[in-house]
Amino acid sequence: MKFPALKTYAVVYLIFLYAPIVLLPVFAFNDSKVIAFPLSGFTTEWFTQMWGDQQLFNAVKNSAIIAVSSAVIATSLGVFAARASTRFQFPYKAGIMGLIMLPMVLPEMIISMSMLVVLLAVGIPLSLFTIIMGHVLITTPFAVAILSSAFQSLDKSLEEAAYDLGETPLSTFRLIILPLVMPGIVSSLLICFTISIDEFIIAYFLGGNQTVLSVYIYGQFRFPAKVPSILALGTILVALSIVLLSIAEYFRRRGIAKTGAKDTGGFL
Amino acid sequence: MTFAEDKPNMIEFKDVHKYYGDYHALRGINGTIKAGEFFSLLGPSGCGKTTLLRTIAGFEGISSGAVMIDGKNMAGVPANVRPTNMVFQSYAIFPHMTVGENVGFGLRKDPRSKEDKAKAVAEALEMVGLKGYGGRAAHALSGGQRQRVALARALILKPKVLLLDEPLSALDKKMREHMQIELIKLQRQVGITFILVTHDQEEALVMSDRIAVMFEGQIAQLADPETLYRRPATKQVADFIGTMNFVPCDILSDSGGTIEVDAKGLGRVTLSADQVPPAQGVDPVVGLRPETLTLLYDDQKAADREVKGVIDEVIYFGDMTYYDVYLGGTDVEVRLSMRNVPGRPVLDVGTEVRLAWSPTALVLFR
Repeated sequence: MKFPALKTYAVVYLIFLYAPIVLLPVFAFNDSKVIAFPLSGFTTEWFTQMWGDQQLFNAVKNSAIIAVSSAVIATSLGVFAARASTRFQFPYKAGIMGLIMLPMVLPEMIISMSMLVVLLAVGIPLSLFTIIMGHVLITTPFAVAILSSAFQSLDKSLEEAAYDLGETPLSTFRLIILPLVMPGIVSSLLICFTISIDEFIIAYFLGGNQTVLSVYIYGQFRFPAKVPSILALGTILVALSIVLLSIAEYFRRRGIAKTGAKDTGGFL
Repeated sequence: MTFAEDKPNMIEFKDVHKYYGDYHALRGINGTIKAGEFFSLLGPSGCGKTTLLRTIAGFEGISSGAVMIDGKNMAGVPANVRPTNMVFQSYAIFPHMTVGENVGFGLRKDPRSKEDKAKAVAEALEMVGLKGYGGRAAHALSGGQRQRVALARALILKPKVLLLDEPLSALDKKMREHMQIELIKLQRQVGITFILVTHDQEEALVMSDRIAVMFEGQIAQLADPETLYRRPATKQVADFIGTMNFVPCDILSDSGGTIEVDAKGLGRVTLSADQVPPAQGVDPVVGLRPETLTLLYDDQKAADREVKGVIDEVIYFGDMTYYDVYLGGTDVEVRLSMRNVPGRPVLDVGTEVRLAWSPTALVLFR
């Protein structure tokens, strides 16, 4: 390293980024309702408390339903859009793709408010379904972006070769295209799931009386007594994220090893 | 060398036109490719040769005209049921499959038993010199091996026509020359019509029974390699195939049977009708190949005609030396090639030399 200052900067940056997350498990196991040093002892009480919270279970279940549905729907839509944008020419392509990608930069505040107005006007009751609609809207652009690069790197002659060897366009898609873009599909599912599970604004606006995880956690922070068990929940979520990312990385590396592609490094 | 004329037609092009929007990619292609022929589509990039190949495969539709395969009009026949298979420029080896799975891919709907299919795959692999490679991962192969897998995969379906889209362009020179010979042998062995697209004139000359030279969406000449080389139909073809010296000339008389010209630096020559392809409307030039000019050493005498010159450039190739020579006191420069054999020292720039040549080697373009 030629510049020691840069090295220091990098280390400080990483500490700044990850230290707060490390504090989560520390206080989750701390035997005190007050979130402060010095630590007062080890306990698993907060986890027990969290485990017994029926509302929390409900919120987790709702969030899981929403995140899985949104990820699957957005990724499916993304497959069509990415395929169309990378392989076909059609009128107003740039404009259409632009409109699909727009929600990525649109403030969620605007999306939630306008959707709320429309849904109420049309008379659709607020429920998990309306949250899913909102989440599909904001996650589809991410799915399209990830899948477009997966489809882009697909050599067109692979499809033509399969077609040439007697397959129909549909069986070509199933036998050749799908397996080769599978890492992209997995990435897209993961990203969409992640975005959906911790999304707050849309879930808050469009949820009606259905509470999801992010909204529930936000609500619990009003009660200082509940904070340690929320930290326990956070610890579990961090652990789950690490497990999930590890699985994704395993599949990514396996895919690379299988197709002999070049490892560009990094997750997803 | 010339291909048997009595073979049945495998491919027929009837006034094939192809437009991409306003762009006229194929401009009235006519011609036939015989059954069992090794045929090449040769031309610079953008001449429409790959487009023409893809109209045979069925990957490109045509705007007007007809493409016939084995007597059947292919209009409306999709690529997956045409009796053709293709070897792609990128080889298009399915990276998520083994070599064996790649080669056997086309047999998926084949009603034969699993064992019979496995045997067919093994035979196909043996045919291309990859015996025992069936279990390997496809992505772990070298360029030459991928090429062979692509060949085996296409040939296992026993197509009537094998289409090869610049299959050797990704290989290094040694490997390319090796594969050229292998492909010729393979074609003789299987007897299938091979249609090769290439921009490499040398490759086309080496491998083909007949060649169609294409420029700007049209076939400029369709002939066997020797005719193409010795009697190119247009100046463009002459320029594209090998090296050709062009010497400006004046046409003195044209009797229909013979034409008399005065070529700058070479003098008056009488040419027979077969040395004069149909007029193209270019300024008249006579063309002569480098090997039809010979440097005369010491007291050697020319068998036919002789001309003086001065060496302007010497290009040494080991087995050959190329000389650029100004013809007898003119600004006309010609290139000639001499084999480096004992008794023929490589001469220096500025040396005054005598060249032997023969009027029968000339071709007139006008």
